[in-house]
Amino acid sequence: MIKALFSILIFPGFLFVSVFGLFAEFFDRKIYARLQNRVGPPWFQTFADFIKLLAKEDIVPCEANPRMFGLAPIFALASVITVFLYIPLWKTETLFSFNGDIIMVLYLLTVPTLAFFIGGWYSTSLFARIGSVRCVTQLFAYEVPLFMSILAAALLANSWSLVDIVIFYTRHPLYCLFNLIGFGISLIALLGKLEKTPFDIPEAETEIVAGAFTEYSGRLLAILRLTIDIEMVVGSALLVAVFFPFGLTLAPITGFVVFMAEIMFVIALLSLLRTVVARLRIDQMINFCWKYMVPLAIFQLLLNLTLKRILM
Amino acid sequence: MGLVKKIVTWARIKSPWILHFNTGACNACDIEIIAALTPRYDLERFGVQLKGTPRHADILVCSGPVTKQIEDRLVRIYEQMPEPKFVVAVGTCACSGGVFNGCYNIKGGIKSTIPVSAFIPGCPASPKAIIDGVVKLLQSLEEPKK
Repeated sequence: MIKALFSILIFPGFLFVSVFGLFAEFFDRKIYARLQNRVGPPWFQTFADFIKLLAKEDIVPCEANPRMFGLAPIFALASVITVFLYIPLWKTETLFSFNGDIIMVLYLLTVPTLAFFIGGWYSTSLFARIGSVRCVTQLFAYEVPLFMSILAAALLANSWSLVDIVIFYTRHPLYCLFNLIGFGISLIALLGKLEKTPFDIPEAETEIVAGAFTEYSGRLLAILRLTIDIEMVVGSALLVAVFFPFGLTLAPITGFVVFMAEIMFVIALLSLLRTVVARLRIDQMINFCWKYMVPLAIFQLLLNLTLKRILM
Repeated sequence: MGLVKKIVTWARIKSPWILHFNTGACNACDIEIIAALTPRYDLERFGVQLKGTPRHADILVCSGPVTKQIEDRLVRIYEQMPEPKFVVAVGTCACSGGVFNGCYNIKGGIKSTIPVSAFIPGCPASPKAIIDGVVKLLQSLEEPKK
């Protein structure tokens, strides 16, 4: 009981993942700034932002539905934190593992997007409604290639449990090279999930002020921002666990450090991608996903099926 | 309580998010405000971020005299911002109405419509003056605690 509470609330649950998420946001913003030849924010910036938002006034617009408006961010935060309990962090074991948990992880990562949609829709602001509809439109475009490429890697490992996938790829590290296309696809799809620059259409600040978050202020906005930070960490951790889970067989502390470094590497790749590209239109984004990413993901799936036949 | 208050004040000083609003300026002050936000001065060093919506903003940066047409909008935007909120008037027109004071379509400086925390004179105010004004406003938050 106490052990379960500890793992849910402190490590690797709420406290650890929040601090790590805020640190990851700082890391992302710093790299973004350095690539633009700026100095960038100091290390405590994201913590100051978070505390300041917690201390601000909460405004619920009088036309909004207060219950849905208030609950949506909490659901989003709870679901992303839950995902972290299923990702192996310091050894090839998770706290709660079962066969098929990769499907659950993928679907729990979809919950925040739907929560953003619901929160934006019920705040009844025009900008928020446009943003939330774009949020869901985008979901249908990036979700299919993301699922296909991650499940293709799972297919090669012959298991739908994250722990077994990690064990398989640690035993056969060279097999990771077959999944390079899938890794690229899921990296780009993750940018869509996190609403980062080429795909930040739902919160395009130059056209629809802040998208689904337009009406949020104070504590609820702090929760929403924390959700996106944690989603970034969890998404990167999922990619690491599926595509290159090296180092987890080392001693607990070394394994943990190596895994964190790998997560930071994926986050750095995400920041690099968001620096070098500009925002697409929603129709261009959907065309890109269905015309190029889905066929590549299908190719990866077929490749892995063939390889499985040949190698095993 | 003292410690919590100190941390909150620290966070407020370290993360001012601004909203830029043109209340009828000739665009010169707006260009200088935008110049202050470019990588040349890199205000993200101090945690300043330009936000699109008044709900996310802490500081409303206004430029220009308040025209009769913009008056209602200015009040509405001010009221949409969550507490605690501050207003900075950038440029001579925003401070006092400037050369437009007394015109048939002008109400006066920003102070005539909403409370203002900091005045930054200049025609237009240079980016360095704007940064200096905002820093002085943030320092004034800290002083009563000492």
